[in-house]
Amino acid sequence: MTFVLSFLLRRLSQGLVIVLLVGFVIFSLLRIVPGDPVRIIVGPMATEKQVEEIANELGLNDPLPIQFGRYLSEITEGDFGNSFIKAKGGNAASGGKENAGVERAAVLDLIKNAIPLSAILAGLGTAFALMFSIPLGIAAGLRPNGLISKLTFALSSIFVSLPNIWLAILLILIVSTQLGWLPAIGYKGLSYAILPAIVLAVELSAVIVRALASSVTTTMQENFVQAGVVRGLTLQHMISRHVIRNASIPILNLFGAQLGGLLLGSLFIVEYIFNYPGLGLLTVNAVFQRDFPVIQGVAILTTAALVIINIMVDLISAGIDRRLQY
Amino acid sequence: MLKAAWKRPQFRIGLIIIVSLLVLAIILPLISSTSATTLSIRERFAPPIFMDGGNLKHLFGTDQLGRDLLLRSLIGLQNAVFIGLVSVIGMFFLGAIIGMYAGYKGGWIDTILMRITDAQMSIPVIILAITILGVSRPTAFSVIVVLILAGWPTYARVIRSVTLTESKKEFVRAAKIIGASDQRIILSHIAPNILPPVAFIAVLDVARMMIFEAIFGFIGIGIQPPIPTFGNILADGTKYLINAWWITVIPGLFLFTALISLNLIGSTLESARNEALEGREQ
Repeated sequence: MTFVLSFLLRRLSQGLVIVLLVGFVIFSLLRIVPGDPVRIIVGPMATEKQVEEIANELGLNDPLPIQFGRYLSEITEGDFGNSFIKAKGGNAASGGKENAGVERAAVLDLIKNAIPLSAILAGLGTAFALMFSIPLGIAAGLRPNGLISKLTFALSSIFVSLPNIWLAILLILIVSTQLGWLPAIGYKGLSYAILPAIVLAVELSAVIVRALASSVTTTMQENFVQAGVVRGLTLQHMISRHVIRNASIPILNLFGAQLGGLLLGSLFIVEYIFNYPGLGLLTVNAVFQRDFPVIQGVAILTTAALVIINIMVDLISAGIDRRLQY
Repeated sequence: MLKAAWKRPQFRIGLIIIVSLLVLAIILPLISSTSATTLSIRERFAPPIFMDGGNLKHLFGTDQLGRDLLLRSLIGLQNAVFIGLVSVIGMFFLGAIIGMYAGYKGGWIDTILMRITDAQMSIPVIILAITILGVSRPTAFSVIVVLILAGWPTYARVIRSVTLTESKKEFVRAAKIIGASDQRIILSHIAPNILPPVAFIAVLDVARMMIFEAIFGFIGIGIQPPIPTFGNILADGTKYLINAWWITVIPGLFLFTALISLNLIGSTLESARNEALEGREQ
C-alpha cells in the first residue's frame, strides 16, 4: 500500500508539471499566431472600438502570463471558459449584431457532451483490435516461424501502410453506400460507431499484433517455462497461466506510451471523416473557427488523460509483475 | 545490417517498387504534355483506363476539374516523400543532438532534457498539428516543423540510451585521457554508433510521416491547393464518391503501394538487425 501511495504521489506531481507545461505552450501558441478571435466573435461589421471593448472584456489585451494565470485559477474552479463561437443552445453564434446577448456555451459542457461518444468509439475500436490481435498474436508468437506468424506479419505490414483516411473512405464507399449494411455519417445509435471503430481497430491492431507476437516468443524462451514443463505442468497450462500473463506487460506499456497517442490521433481524424460528434469533431471544427477556449480546453484535458493513462498502466503492470514495484 | 537485409526478397521487392515509383514521379511530370494542375472541363470525370470510357491519355482517370489523376498522384508522391524525408532527417538530427548531449553529460542536464522529452511525448501529434497549422497558413515548411517537433523525442530516447552505453566504453575513456574535448568525443567517437539502432525506425517513420502529411492535407491543414497532395486529392474526391469513386480510390491505392514498399524495407531492416543482435549475444 505504501508503494501505491508514494508511487501515485511522485507520478501525479510529475504529471501535473507536464500538463502545466503543455497547457502553457499551447496557450501561448494560440495567442502568438495571427488571427484575431475578437473579429470572429463580433463579425466583420463591428467597429474598431467595439473590437477593443470586447477584447478588454475578455481579457485578451493583458500580458500572456497574467492571462494564463487567470485561466489556471478558473480551471481549478472547474471553469474552462466559454466557447467563442458556439451558443448555449448548440447553434453557432457567429458574428452578427443580434447575438450580442446570446450566452456562449461553456467549454466544459461541450467537452462533457462529446466525451461519452468518443469513449464509445475508442472502446469499441480497442475491443475490435484486441479481439483480432490477441488470438493471432499469441498463435504467431508460439510458432515464430510458422505459417500463421508469416501471415500475421504480412497482415500487420498491410495495416500499417493503410492511410486511415483512405481506409475510412473505402469503408464508407463499399460497406455503406454500395452494400448499405451500416450507416456511416453522424451518430444516431451504436451502429454508427461500427465503421469508424473498424478504422481505429486496423490502426491499433497493426502495432498490437506485432508487439504481442514478439513478446510471447521472448517469454516462451525464458527458463521458467521449461522449469514448469519439467515439473510436470502441461505446456497448455504454462501458456494460459504464465506465459500470457508475463507477455502482456509490454503490451500494457505500449498502451500507455504509444497507443494512447495513436488512438487519440486517429480518433480525431476518424470522427472528422465520419462526422461523428465526439471530441475530435468538436476540436477540428474549433480549429476552423479559431475557437481558442475549446482548443486549449481539449488540449489540456487530453494531455492530462494521457498522463493518467500512463500512470494507470504502470500501476497495473506493477500489479501483474511485482518485480516492477520500486 | 544492410547486407543481411539485402539477402531477403522482401527488401529488394520494396526497394524496387519505391525506386521505380520515385523515378516515375520525377520523370513523367517533366515529359508529359499536360501538368497536374491543368484544367480540362471537357474531360472531367474521365474514368480510369480499365473501365468503359477510359482512355490511354488518362490512365488513372480525371477528377472533377478534368485534371489528370496519374500526374496528380505522382506530384503528390513527390511532396509526400519530400516532407517525409526532410522531417525524418530533421527529427533525427534534433533527437541526436539532444540525446547525445543528455546521455554524455548525465546528471541534471540529462534529467531536465529527458523530462522535456517526456512532456513533448505526451502531446498528441494531432493536437500539436492543429494548434500550430490550424491557426496559421500552412506551408510545406510549417508542416515539416510540426512533424519534427512531434517526432524528435523517440530519437532522443533511443540515441540517449545508445550514448549511455557507448560513453562507458574503454575507447571513450581513452580519448578523454589523451585530452580530447567533449565535442570531439561526441562527434567522432559516439556519433558513428547511433545510426544502426535508429535506421529502421527512420525508414518506418518516413512512411508514417507520409500518412500524417496526407491526414493534414485531408483536414485542410497541410500544403494548400492547388499544389496536389494525397490529402487534398482524397478530400476533393470524397465529394464525388458515388459518381466518381476513382478520384479517391486510385490515388489512395497508389499511396498505399508506396507506403507498403517503405514498410517492407523498414521491417526487413528491423528483423535483420534483431537477428544480428541475437547472433552477437550467443
